[in-house]
Amino acid sequence: MMTKTGDQESPASASQVDQPSVKRAPPPETPAAVQTRFRVIAAFWAVIIFLGFPIWWKTTSIYRASLPIEEMVDWADGKACRPVFPLEIHLATPSMQSFEAQHLLRTTQHTLDDLNEFAAHHLRLKLTNGSTTAHNSEDSSESVKYPAETADTALTVRLLPQDGLAGPWSELHAATTQLDIFYPPSQVPVPSSSNSPLSAFIAAELQRLYGEEKATIAHILSGNTAGLDSTSPQLAEDIDRRLRRSMKYAETYHLSFSLFTPGSEPSSWDIEAAVNEYVSPLLQALSPISNFTVDTQVQLYANFAPTAPKPEYDESEAAWTLKKEDLSAFVNAAEWPLNPSIGNGPTINFILYVPDPSQSPLLVNENRASSWMIPQWGGVFLLNPPLSNTEQGGRSNPAHLSQDSLGPAFMTFSHQLLTLLGTPSTPASLPLRLQTSIRIRAATLLLSASATMGSLARLTESLPSIPIPATVATSVSTTLSHLSASCVYLREGRFGAALASARVAETEAERSFFEKSMVGQVYFPDEHKVAVYLPLLGPIGVPLVVGLLKELKRIAGRRKAKGTAS
Amino acid sequence: MAVDRRKIAVFGAAFVLRLLLTCFFPSLPDLLTGRVEVSTPVNSFKRLQEGLFLYTGNVSPYDGGVFHQAPLLLPLFALLPNAKSSPLPTAIFYFLVDLLNAHALVNISASGQSVKSKLHSAVRKHVQWDGVSVAAWFLFNPFTIATCLARSTSVFTTSGILFAVSNAVAGNSINAMLALGFASYLSLYPALLFIPLVLLCYDRRSEGPSPPNVGSFIVQQAALLLASVAGLIGLSCLITGSFWEFISATYGFHLLVPDLTPNVGLWWYFFIEMFDSFREFFLGVFWLHLASYVGGLTARFRSQPLFIITSLLGVFAIFKPYSSISDASLFFALLPLYRHLFPLMRYTFFAGSAILYSSLLGPAFYHLWIYAGSGNANFFYAITLVWSLGLSILLADTVFAALRDEWEQEHPEQVGTEVRQV
Repeated sequence: MMTKTGDQESPASASQVDQPSVKRAPPPETPAAVQTRFRVIAAFWAVIIFLGFPIWWKTTSIYRASLPIEEMVDWADGKACRPVFPLEIHLATPSMQSFEAQHLLRTTQHTLDDLNEFAAHHLRLKLTNGSTTAHNSEDSSESVKYPAETADTALTVRLLPQDGLAGPWSELHAATTQLDIFYPPSQVPVPSSSNSPLSAFIAAELQRLYGEEKATIAHILSGNTAGLDSTSPQLAEDIDRRLRRSMKYAETYHLSFSLFTPGSEPSSWDIEAAVNEYVSPLLQALSPISNFTVDTQVQLYANFAPTAPKPEYDESEAAWTLKKEDLSAFVNAAEWPLNPSIGNGPTINFILYVPDPSQSPLLVNENRASSWMIPQWGGVFLLNPPLSNTEQGGRSNPAHLSQDSLGPAFMTFSHQLLTLLGTPSTPASLPLRLQTSIRIRAATLLLSASATMGSLARLTESLPSIPIPATVATSVSTTLSHLSASCVYLREGRFGAALASARVAETEAERSFFEKSMVGQVYFPDEHKVAVYLPLLGPIGVPLVVGLLKELKRIAGRRKAKGTAS
Repeated sequence: MAVDRRKIAVFGAAFVLRLLLTCFFPSLPDLLTGRVEVSTPVNSFKRLQEGLFLYTGNVSPYDGGVFHQAPLLLPLFALLPNAKSSPLPTAIFYFLVDLLNAHALVNISASGQSVKSKLHSAVRKHVQWDGVSVAAWFLFNPFTIATCLARSTSVFTTSGILFAVSNAVAGNSINAMLALGFASYLSLYPALLFIPLVLLCYDRRSEGPSPPNVGSFIVQQAALLLASVAGLIGLSCLITGSFWEFISATYGFHLLVPDLTPNVGLWWYFFIEMFDSFREFFLGVFWLHLASYVGGLTARFRSQPLFIITSLLGVFAIFKPYSSISDASLFFALLPLYRHLFPLMRYTFFAGSAILYSSLLGPAFYHLWIYAGSGNANFFYAITLVWSLGLSILLADTVFAALRDEWEQEHPEQVGTEVRQV
């Protein structure tokens, strides 16, 4: 830096230039020259002190909003909240005496409590009379979306006497949250007995229904399935596999439905009707968990990747087949326009592939299946529409795919969507599975937001030089308040509300953790500042400091001289 | 009227030379307009054209973030015919501005303030060029010609500064402040010349019969400067409609240096390399560095206000953001006023060669970096360092010569002795 060339030497040169020889002392400085030099130095230092230092202070001070570190660490360590999942199950006994029902409830609850080994997840039975039962079962799916002040009803069990039965049997409604249990009237427990076959049956039935959910939640809360002894290795593996296959939770998922075909036909499909018919109701039901957007596209002349193995003709099946191990190469990721992401959030791709007439029908070799799922990515369906003969003698695909022909594909897609979102495979009732999904998601988000808080706390502790903007502090406090709200909701059994709070907490936690202005300085330790300041400020500073010191020395010398003189 | 005839001859020759260059090399103006050495984001004619297009299309000229110049230039250029289809009127307008600048220089030279002011009188008064020679140095300086042909809007800032000085040496403080207000309004940095300019005005006034009071005189002039800038900004608001948009697009752009397009200055490379978190701090350092010379030079050369202005213009040419050769040409324009200092300068050869070397190699290295791809940014940056080095040596040498001149005045017996460092 060629700074301070002229003027730095200016105060000195006035007095130091022009000496005919070293021996002859320079002429004495005039008082005016001394004063001028003082003024010059003062002018430079005035700029530094009155402008330089405020600017330095203003531009390099790091704003660190105070964060409730202890509270954040408590959340991360699980000290602040122990998530519990009290499921309220209504017992409707339209044809029982009140005291009989009470007794049945007590014994069944007792049996349930005995069976339960995972305290965080327990079932609470509650009696309702017949009239509210019907109302509740209708309302149950609604209550998820509009959290009322009371706990969500997880399940309604209706006890119906039926003559001529050897033992009780149950029937789960697939479209509602209602379990009908038919029992021989003789098995109504007498108040004196402490247990009865009927209560044991009900307890076992409930335990069976919620077995997978319990194992999943235990898995999430503890990180493994070892916490639960009764979980069969089979179930544990199932859960593990499902969690591996499902997408990471996101606030918004983009569903992309694509029609790929190697030829020119089919070139249109009744996609809007198919989505409305098969996907929209499901998305409606999933809306408490995540938001969804739907995109569709038709891609003609979509060829396989050149390296992908070609389908082979199987004589015995009269079909073209793909080997199971080749399915991973089926999607031509390089050429098919499958956007990795549309806006924020992950994309779930559903591919409807209509093979060329020369390769139709196309199936998977091993199991004759026409669809498969790609974990954490989406699903593929091979649609083999009926071929029509063309005038040239060849055969061609239909030009248009009607809603009916899309039906099987979209049924498969909705099933794949549920699996990709991590919905458990049991029980059979979809509302129950969605409720389970809500509880699982609430638990996951609660843990993940708490863990993020912990990481943020550790990060700010370990890096004292990173700035913490006020927005981060706001996000953190929002996160913490929603986390505790979510925890309270869970305890009250209001899972829909708990999930809503947990979603807010997760979003805010991520926002605070990934705040851009914080990341900038993460890798910038204090000792590097020397390397930043010195190259420029050093050369500027040395003459200024030396000039100041000389001047101070002169003033001090003059004071002294004055002192001795007087 | 021999002098006048010489003046006419010089001015006419300068005009004809520019006209011939424009007519015989029609692509030359556009070539120069595109050169980074001549056109910076704050004075580029291309960007002015863009702003003008938006302005005539009734869109805010600052939309699109290309145009960063003062809005009052827009109605002025809207009056001229389109520079694309008929370039000659615009070119001739610029030639005339150049001649006006030269005329201001003649006035400055005629006042003799550079050799003899109220508090100072140079030893070698007789070694001096007359105004026409000074104007010729300005008009036939290749840097001035290139700036003029490239139609850089810096020439208006140059006019503002030169007219402020020429009015100040005549003791016409009101006009001086109005002209300085115009220059500051266009480019912001000329406001730093306020203190030496006021001193110049004050010295000229106090030579007269009734010397004004120092404090009230400074306050008066400051108020005048503020009023003129405020008036121009008010007019600009009428044109652009939105105050903050225009302030942030022009002065915000000057102050915060967001566009790091290469130029001959020292800022662009430094701020490309700077860590983001220190950007604000070093912006402050660079601006303060630029401003800190005002106080020091003013204190040291209180007796020669015109020399303070000259050396400050040299400092600006080296250290200002978005500097171009037009800033150097302004410094070179005032230097011939100090012809009497030339015998005292010691490194003229070295400074001259460094400047020549960098002005020849600069375009070549820029070409290697941007077009040929066989060089990198460091090539061009190294050349801009040499350019700044050359200017710094010249500036330091001039300051040294001025100090030596003062010394010889105080110690007449020592004239001609050798300088020794102790």
